[in-house]
Amino acid sequence: MQNTILALLCFFGVSLSGQNLDLGVRIQKTHGMYWENGITAQYTLRNFKPDNFYVGFSYVTSRLGTALGTNALKQDNYIASAGWNFGKEVKPFRVHARLNFGYFYAEQVSDIFKDVPNTAFLFSPEIGFKYTFSQLPISLNLGSVYYLFTGENGESPGTLQPLYYHLDITYQILKKK
Amino acid sequence: MTTLLKSLTLFSLLLFASCEKNPPITDGLLDGNVIFDPAVNNPEGYYISAKYPNPTPQDLEKHIIIAIHGYTASTFEWQEFVDWTDAAYGDTGPYRVSQILMGAHGTTYEAFKASKWQDWAESAKVEYQKLVDLGYTKISLVGSSTGATVCLEMIHSGFFNSTIAPQNVFIVDGIIVSSIKTQSIANIVGPMLVYVESNQAAEQDSFWYRFRPQETVRELNKMMKEGRKELESSIIAPEGTRVKVYHSANDPTASSTSAVLIYKGLKHADGSNIDVQIMESDIHVFTRLALREFEGLTVTQKQRDNQKSCFQDMASKLN
Repeated sequence: MQNTILALLCFFGVSLSGQNLDLGVRIQKTHGMYWENGITAQYTLRNFKPDNFYVGFSYVTSRLGTALGTNALKQDNYIASAGWNFGKEVKPFRVHARLNFGYFYAEQVSDIFKDVPNTAFLFSPEIGFKYTFSQLPISLNLGSVYYLFTGENGESPGTLQPLYYHLDITYQILKKK
Repeated sequence: MTTLLKSLTLFSLLLFASCEKNPPITDGLLDGNVIFDPAVNNPEGYYISAKYPNPTPQDLEKHIIIAIHGYTASTFEWQEFVDWTDAAYGDTGPYRVSQILMGAHGTTYEAFKASKWQDWAESAKVEYQKLVDLGYTKISLVGSSTGATVCLEMIHSGFFNSTIAPQNVFIVDGIIVSSIKTQSIANIVGPMLVYVESNQAAEQDSFWYRFRPQETVRELNKMMKEGRKELESSIIAPEGTRVKVYHSANDPTASSTSAVLIYKGLKHADGSNIDVQIMESDIHVFTRLALREFEGLTVTQKQRDNQKSCFQDMASKLN
């Protein structure tokens, strides 16, 4: 939880220099594994391609998904990202590409499992679509992501699987003048 | 537009060509029509129900442990436990091992390709019920890898509701989640691959299928998902059954996270936690050390100790 707060503080600190800031919820499903839901934010930088380039942060957890009220493993994903929306900002429907970096942590259920891998660093490319409503400050962002693993099989947590899809529903709380 | 059409045409041709692909199966492979698992033609050598079709009262005093191998493997996987038991006790020991051949395994590629995961679990259930019908009252199960998932399925499917409960269920490197990250997308890429060829050595071709039809990988995924979902909802072992999980810490095939999920989701009937032992090991099915040299592995003293301690621990519970 401390990590989450720290990451959010960093995020909002940087966002002061941003132009647009979108905050919202993320609904995420890993192919063949858990639902993991949480929060997401994206913002653009005033001095660098504000119509296209954006950076973001997401926190998703199975605590708000499959592990809610079940025996599924409680796990957290902290993801920072840099992305590019193709095309003009005025278009409601845009394709995006993104690179995600982050950290994965799964609960250690008991000391018995102290030698079982439960953390991992994350790196994943993403492609997707963004739809912005013309009359509302709301965007829908659908993405498909694939984690790239560099370690040996057996050295990363088993519930961390490579392909996932997410839907971000965000509300624009800051807009450039 | 022209480039897009060309790309689509090329992709379609590749897809069509790969879908027509058949694996190059030869007579030297378990996948072919010549070499079968020895239990197919000689069940008396492997199944206790076939070896002792008319058990004496002394036979019925024995504890029977049904040993279930994993996906694409054969009865060979538990041969070392049989050999160790013979060396330790001869035929005077308190238990006997029934080495079963998992359903749809040990014969041909085509039979394997046509099978469902429920077929794989069937032979363990049949042998269990035969033993009960013959009069045995002390029966335990040990499953490795997918064989362990079969053991879990036997529990959560309610199989033991209509028969006697096993005294012990031992789970060795059981697979609920895979360490092989691309396995979870088999249903997306599988139709293009048609089959997956293992990189096993020729010396292992009589004991494992070399070619793994994509349909069976998908069945394996379904079986793992079924087990995971049941564990998420909670599974209670039958009254009187004790469960122990052994798992290699860095299992390269069945993620050791599987052991965590089983621990969270499966409880004894009295509400207590099951037993778990994480082994300092990076091999899958650490109880099988034979032919490891053909996998580029040198069997260490630690691995021999792991195998021995597991065998001894199981044997101590088979009185």
